[in-house]
Amino acid sequence: MSYQRTQTFNSRRQQNWSRNQNTVAFTSTVKLGPVTHTVIIALMITVLGLIYLTQATRATSYDYATQKVDNQIAELNSQKSDLEVENARLTALETVKNSNVASTMTTPASTQYAQ
Amino acid sequence: MNLELQKGSRSKVLATILLGIMVVFVIRLFYLQIIQHSYYVGKANQEQIKRLTIPAKRGVIYALNDQTPVPLVMNQTVYTVFADPQTTNDDNKIIDVIRQVAGGNARSNLKALLNNKDSRYQILATRITRVQADKIKSNNLKGIGFQEQSQRVYPEGSLAAQTLGFVDFSGAGRYGIESELNSRLTGMDGLLQSVTDVSDVPLTIGNNNINKPAVDGDNVVLSIDSNIQSRVEQALVDGLKRTGATRGSAIVINPSNGRVMAMANLPTYDPSKFNEVQDAAAFNNGVVSAPYEPGSDVKTLTMATGIDKGVVTPDSTYVNTDYIRVDDIVISNAALGHTGTISFQYALNWSLNTGFVTVAERLGDGKSINLKARQTMYDYFYNRFKLGQITGIEVASEAEGTIIPPESADGNAVRYSNMAFGQGLDVTMIQVASAFSSLVNGGKYYKPTVLAGVIDKNGKYIENKVTTPSNPIAKSTADQMRVMTHVARGMFIGIDPAGYYIGGKTGTSQVIKNGTYTSDETIATYLGYGGSEDLTRYVIMVQVSGDHKALAGNTDALPIFTDISNWMLNYLEIQPKG
Repeated sequence: MSYQRTQTFNSRRQQNWSRNQNTVAFTSTVKLGPVTHTVIIALMITVLGLIYLTQATRATSYDYATQKVDNQIAELNSQKSDLEVENARLTALETVKNSNVASTMTTPASTQYAQ
Repeated sequence: MNLELQKGSRSKVLATILLGIMVVFVIRLFYLQIIQHSYYVGKANQEQIKRLTIPAKRGVIYALNDQTPVPLVMNQTVYTVFADPQTTNDDNKIIDVIRQVAGGNARSNLKALLNNKDSRYQILATRITRVQADKIKSNNLKGIGFQEQSQRVYPEGSLAAQTLGFVDFSGAGRYGIESELNSRLTGMDGLLQSVTDVSDVPLTIGNNNINKPAVDGDNVVLSIDSNIQSRVEQALVDGLKRTGATRGSAIVINPSNGRVMAMANLPTYDPSKFNEVQDAAAFNNGVVSAPYEPGSDVKTLTMATGIDKGVVTPDSTYVNTDYIRVDDIVISNAALGHTGTISFQYALNWSLNTGFVTVAERLGDGKSINLKARQTMYDYFYNRFKLGQITGIEVASEAEGTIIPPESADGNAVRYSNMAFGQGLDVTMIQVASAFSSLVNGGKYYKPTVLAGVIDKNGKYIENKVTTPSNPIAKSTADQMRVMTHVARGMFIGIDPAGYYIGGKTGTSQVIKNGTYTSDETIATYLGYGGSEDLTRYVIMVQVSGDHKALAGNTDALPIFTDISNWMLNYLEIQPKG
């Protein structure tokens, strides 16, 4: 069984290269044809597309989560406003004047002030 | 060879056709994608991008409870319940649920509305609360929908109705503060522009998203004190019942800063039911929008003018004959018999017209109300006391009134003699009360205002600064006028509690009907102040009137003033002297 070199070694010593520069160059013996190139590029585009879709879908799912939180905030704000209105109604002068407590109050005969 | 040629030519033909088709495609695509790019992007955006308005909240209006803001006008989300009669399937259940939950807010003819199968939209109930809407929703009624809307609510009912105004069904402020400060209260709607899904949920994808938050309207705090306002309204109701008058107005001002503490008018209305009001006159705030001839209240201003110009003092005298001639007319006193040499203080006490016509004469040559006298009166009345001009109070429909200039044909001596005792000029209560305030606060005129401040976004009350006053009269003049009106009120013995310093002046003015003064109708007013000897704490002006009602300031308006004044002394915790 013999081994075949997969790479060829070319000396550049003879090519008048300057000193201290690479004197060898490696050339792959595996050659990719145009079909392979096309397939690889198509695969790369597909992968990139999938990555984009994944990210876009994830962003959209965040939108739905945000929307849900926004709706909750709006609902709570609405409840808060209703409670504020109710509070204002219950503490309104008319309500207080007509309350049981007010109806049992009496007018003082005289008022004195601290000097 | 021929075969090769034929084969080659078919391939070339096919290639040429394909190339031609490709060229057509390329040209068409170039046209669509390059030349028509903007058009189709626009069409796509129309489909994909929604523009949603973020409604701004209308500002809340607060009054003061002592110094604490309390809400007077608020917003509440309410719902309109509607049905699509073509899709409803259990009308009886719908009717039961709506009647049970919506109560009086439900339409009375629910059965007929639901039977109208030609219609796809029938309103079944309006203005129901969120809780009521939730109850109806929980019944899962088919064909029932809800529309959300915001409406104004008034926790204090009709309190200060004419000062507040109302918001109509289109959302615009009408009358009062709501109209005058409409743009401030409305705020600015926001905008959300975004790609949305089929359920209109905004998505963050896309390059043209806009999120411009809404700017809510200002939350304003009125200088109206809800307790004083309530007491004044009650005093007016009682006063009208007592006198038989049908119209009444009252205002309470803090003379130290021009802030209105109460402003009431009768008849009044409930702003939450403005659409049920039969007579639109109920919307008008008579204090600011109804000019009238104020009568003897103005004698205080005439006297202040004379004192300030140095032509009279409270103790100066004149000879009263009950009558005085001005050009071709004779002016008489309402109270006859106080003849002889009397002081101007005495003239004020008895409200003698002759005394104040005399003051007007002394502003000129002492014998007639000449041009110089008229110019002086005009300068004081119009320029200094600001009668006959808009005060700028923040309530809609403020009326200007009229002060005839001395140079005009109607601004003659007769006119100005009448003006000296409060006839022949048209002014509003807010003008007179503001001018009078300067007579009892040391001579400073403050622009009247109903705004005390705002509630900021953090819920903190930020009080407005007090405006810089003008000085229509000298302090010494004001001090003398304060004493004079105190003495004049002293004519009515036993109506004020001891130890306080209270003063005022009655007014009974004639009314012009069909171009002439009528004898069977008068407007009664009382204008006064109260506080301690050192400081005037409030100015109150009361006016009552009625068709064919001859009312008098001392018998019909004064008791209402006294009622309010006595209550104010306690409410403001003013300590009596001695």
